[in-house]
Amino acid sequence: MELPLALAIGLMFAGAVYSFLRPNLIRMVVGFGLLSNATNLLMIAAGGFTLEGLAPFVSDANEVAGLMDPLPPDIVLTAIVISFAVGALFLTMCYAVYRDYGTDDPEELPPPVADDETYRPRRARRPGYEE
Amino acid sequence: MFSGNAIVLVLLIPFFTAIALALLQGRPRLEKALSLASAVGLTAYVFGLTGYVDANGIQVTMLGGYAAPFGIAFVADRLACIMLCASMTVGTVVLLYASYTVSETQQRSFFFPLFHVVLLGVNWSFITGDLFNLFVAYEVMLIGSYGAMMVGASRQQVRQTMMYVAVNLVGGSLFVVGVALVYALAGTLNLADLAVKTAGMVGPRAAMFTAASMVLLLVFALKAAAFPLFSWLPDSYPVVPAGVNGYFAGVLTKVGVYSLLRVFVMAFRQDGSQVAADVLLLLSGFTMLLGVLGALCQWEMRRLLSWHIISQVGYMVMGIGLAADPRIAVAAVAATIYYVVHNIVVKSSLFLVAGVAEEVTGRIRLKEMGGVLTLAPFAAVLFFVAGFSIAGMPPFSGFLAKLSVFRVALDGRHFLVLSVAVITSFLTLMSMMKIWGYVFWGKPRASSGSRAWYGPAAATAVLIVVTIVLGVGGQPFVRLMVDAAADVVQPTAYVRAVLGDGVASLAALEGAQP
Repeated sequence: MELPLALAIGLMFAGAVYSFLRPNLIRMVVGFGLLSNATNLLMIAAGGFTLEGLAPFVSDANEVAGLMDPLPPDIVLTAIVISFAVGALFLTMCYAVYRDYGTDDPEELPPPVADDETYRPRRARRPGYEE
Repeated sequence: MFSGNAIVLVLLIPFFTAIALALLQGRPRLEKALSLASAVGLTAYVFGLTGYVDANGIQVTMLGGYAAPFGIAFVADRLACIMLCASMTVGTVVLLYASYTVSETQQRSFFFPLFHVVLLGVNWSFITGDLFNLFVAYEVMLIGSYGAMMVGASRQQVRQTMMYVAVNLVGGSLFVVGVALVYALAGTLNLADLAVKTAGMVGPRAAMFTAASMVLLLVFALKAAAFPLFSWLPDSYPVVPAGVNGYFAGVLTKVGVYSLLRVFVMAFRQDGSQVAADVLLLLSGFTMLLGVLGALCQWEMRRLLSWHIISQVGYMVMGIGLAADPRIAVAAVAATIYYVVHNIVVKSSLFLVAGVAEEVTGRIRLKEMGGVLTLAPFAAVLFFVAGFSIAGMPPFSGFLAKLSVFRVALDGRHFLVLSVAVITSFLTLMSMMKIWGYVFWGKPRASSGSRAWYGPAAATAVLIVVTIVLGVGGQPFVRLMVDAAADVVQPTAYVRAVLGDGVASLAALEGAQP
């Protein structure tokens, strides 16, 4: 089972890197989806996944041979939840940026300059201050 | 009150405070009072915990009662306690600062709950004793920080935070990759168990483990903003509101440094583990020099200071890199811990003073500011102390921090990186003089006429007092930090506390040289 898993993981990572490097916000989101699933698959592979492995329900403490390692699926479950939440946030932000700037190409965004909206102290400025 | 399960309080308090604050939406005064009370209480608690741990040894709790290494361990040792104290002190001061500066819109966008989520994540990453749990702590911290960065959601904020999120998404995925590889090779993720398992690791397996650990090195270096992974930092930090910026600048990168210390110095001890230290030493020189050169050519106060964060991280990474040499390991780690604490305090106070200067002048660019010494003398004094401290002038904490790192480099005969560090120190002083000259000296070029800076400046003064105390009366702190460093370099006590006395291979760990 190792070769097909390794191939799948490698392919997904390659696809993720490719999409992440495209100048397009939505492709970055897709890339992140691929990336997180590639890592999850890697985690499963790291736990020694085999098709013959049995689900780790231990009825007799002496009979654990042939059971799968329960920890990697556990970790993957946590990782899925986290990547889902963060991915949703990321998608929302990409949409907000697209709405605000009218482009989905990160290279076309204006350079990160000081934005008065953010920087302005709460009180209004007094323009033309003279001594 | 401090033993065993009670250490989980450092997570429960910010967690429930965040929920309560979210429910108190629409009652700004009550919200501020509760958030401050919780932070002050937790700060008092972690100082008490530090005293208790120092006197009675490491406190461990196993979640759900599953025995280590299978369950998740929370461990409060000296290092974790020191980091908790530093981060909570700064967190409390920043909350006080923010309760003056936060705008109504920001407060309505759940600023305070989000900030407590960041505190939760940071505290969590300090006390966890499990590699995967560290990842979860990172994500909690990051999710809080995304929210706190975007609070108010101006165009520019969302745009910059999006880049920060993108960088951290890749970082988070790589973290899981590193965890998977470590698990495949060592069969455990518990840090104490890893220390035991890797201590006897030799041959091809050790080489593979070293290769796998490089993925984690990448992740932590990204979080710490070390060369060449720092470019996300200077763009994203200046868009954050000034108060939060102080906490982010002081603490978030140091979580990366702490993880490097905890994982690479304490847990990964396989044959060939010094490769990581060599890589870190190499990166540290570039980090500090390029960081400070980047700072010198900036023309906005907070952007200049953001570049400085990178430069300062170089010194801490250098301390970790020096720890590979067993003769100077304890001194190097102790110097790093001192440097981290010093930097958390001083870096935050610099950002807080920058916020005050922006409030006083109503401007953010160096060339448009000026004469803050006349407009707000108290703020100028605060900046003077913090700036001198970060440049390494006695009698402030920066002097002791730099001196101890330099001494270790001298003892280890790493003259090249030492000379880079000394040059960087001079350049740091130069960039501080640049700020001083443009912002504080000279005739006032702009004034907002605002008096809203008194409260924030008073809050910042607390941190300034801390840097003076750390510098002038540093002896008791240094003693604590040397003990903490000894525990990290030779983690017998840590392993025994987590895994119990019956560990068969504990002898292997004791015999092995760090």
